[in-house]
Amino acid sequence: MFVRDKMVTELVVVSPQDTILGTRRLMIEKQIRHMPVVEDGRLVGIVTDRDIRDAMPSLLFEEGVEPEVCKEIAEHIISDIMTPDPITISVVHTLQDALLIMYHKKVGAFPVVDEEGHLLGIIAIRDILKAFINLLNIEEPGTLLCVVVEEKPGQMKKVVDVITEENISLGSVLVARYWDEDHRALFPYLLTCNVATVKRKLMDLGFELIEPMDMLLDQVPVNEKE
Amino acid sequence: MNETGKTGLVCDERCLLHDTGDHHPESASRLRAVYAWLKESGLAAQLVPIEAQPANQRWIEAVHNIHYIRKFEDACLYGLPDFEHTDNVICRDSYDAALLSAGGVLEAVDAVVSGRLDRVFCALRPPGHHAERDKSMGFCYFNNVAIAARYLQLQHGIEKVAIIDFDVHHGNGIQHIFEEDPTVLYCSLHEHPSFAWPGTGRDFEEGKGEGEGFTFNVPVLPGRGDKEYRKAVEMRIKPKVKAFQPEFLLVAMGFDAHADDLMADIQLTAEGFDFLSRTVVELAECCTGGRVISVLEGGYNPLTLPRLVESHLRILAGLEK
Ligand SMILES: [Zn+2]
Repeated sequence: MFVRDKMVTELVVVSPQDTILGTRRLMIEKQIRHMPVVEDGRLVGIVTDRDIRDAMPSLLFEEGVEPEVCKEIAEHIISDIMTPDPITISVVHTLQDALLIMYHKKVGAFPVVDEEGHLLGIIAIRDILKAFINLLNIEEPGTLLCVVVEEKPGQMKKVVDVITEENISLGSVLVARYWDEDHRALFPYLLTCNVATVKRKLMDLGFELIEPMDMLLDQVPVNEKE
Repeated sequence: MNETGKTGLVCDERCLLHDTGDHHPESASRLRAVYAWLKESGLAAQLVPIEAQPANQRWIEAVHNIHYIRKFEDACLYGLPDFEHTDNVICRDSYDAALLSAGGVLEAVDAVVSGRLDRVFCALRPPGHHAERDKSMGFCYFNNVAIAARYLQLQHGIEKVAIIDFDVHHGNGIQHIFEEDPTVLYCSLHEHPSFAWPGTGRDFEEGKGEGEGFTFNVPVLPGRGDKEYRKAVEMRIKPKVKAFQPEFLLVAMGFDAHADDLMADIQLTAEGFDFLSRTVVELAECCTGGRVISVLEGGYNPLTLPRLVESHLRILAGLEK
């Protein structure tokens, strides 16, 4: 789960001297929201669709605008509006790193650079979401169980043993703190529709199966260190 | 109202030869229990019996890829233990049973289109609504209901078919087969796909291209039951089907949303199922001149399934106790 494996490497870039109008056209055509700005192979800035929008009042596209205004805006170049020295990330950062930086810095995409600042790729929130969708396996057909277990060693093993006995593939397992201190909730995502026997066996072992809905994840205490 | 003698029942003992073993939820004993109860309760004798015929391959091919059909036949011939996924346990007779299961629904179509019958319930297996064009899933090999819809169109010239799917699982196969087709409306009520297999059927899946707006999914959260189903049917499903003005109604009738069915987490009661059955009758009366074919999909608790099927059939036939 390294940035290297999930970043986009087919890059479209502009130079600081390119015009805003030309860049806008390119971004629309290629459906790009974050455009790296490169000079001599090195990353010098980034321009977002929002920067472009802010730089171009919508009246520009209405009729009757003074030609001088149009001309002035048209002459603006990328270096006037780009964010210089943007936050970057390296190929050996993990996706978890990228996710945390994106969340805390409120940034939607990072240029990926090497030690000399050469641009190697770009990674956006969408690429990371795709990786986590794969990790959770939620595009594979499966059934989610919610098993409440005591907070003591060996509980997970018992649950996994039952799943293994039934010859069922595990898509993913999430573990969450339950609202009561001595319990955890396990969410095995089973790649089968055939869950009746597994459920019965887990209940026979004394595990509590609750409706996943009762496990309100947004009510689980989390460390908010904003 | 439904005249007596106009409701049919398709049963075929040969469907019991699809042997998945005693521990498999979709076992022969599940259907055997249904057959036994329909006989014992005297209901079967009040209905017009229809025997299944193996579906002509032409109609299977109207839905499924030919290579997939051959691959499934080969797997059965070679005596493989399962097909494409360990869920899908097969035996040498599974291919023939699947042809009968699809073919039985086509017999029902002929009986209803010809006017001999108004309503038919098909108590056959293997089920079908998860089967994709080229992939078996969730105990399903041939998509019986989808094949019947195509047969209605191609053989009988019926243009607009509505399919309602009450199985607790989303009928991914039916949805995908018709998602670009505006002539077939697919409406499904099922447990929310974040919790229940197969993970499709989210409410933003609404069809594609020309078929946009002709796929309609109503996911229900786990633990919910009669009340939510009633609301969803009244507010969402009924208006959608009526607005479509179908010429024919097919129902993928699963009974696994029952509270005692451990395959999913919906808590429907027998009364909840009666409400669904009455909905089927009401929609048929209102849209298709009373014509409807209901086809067994899931339902895995052998203790509750027979009576749920009986009650469904009684309501279809107007023979409520
Ligand atoms: Zn089902």
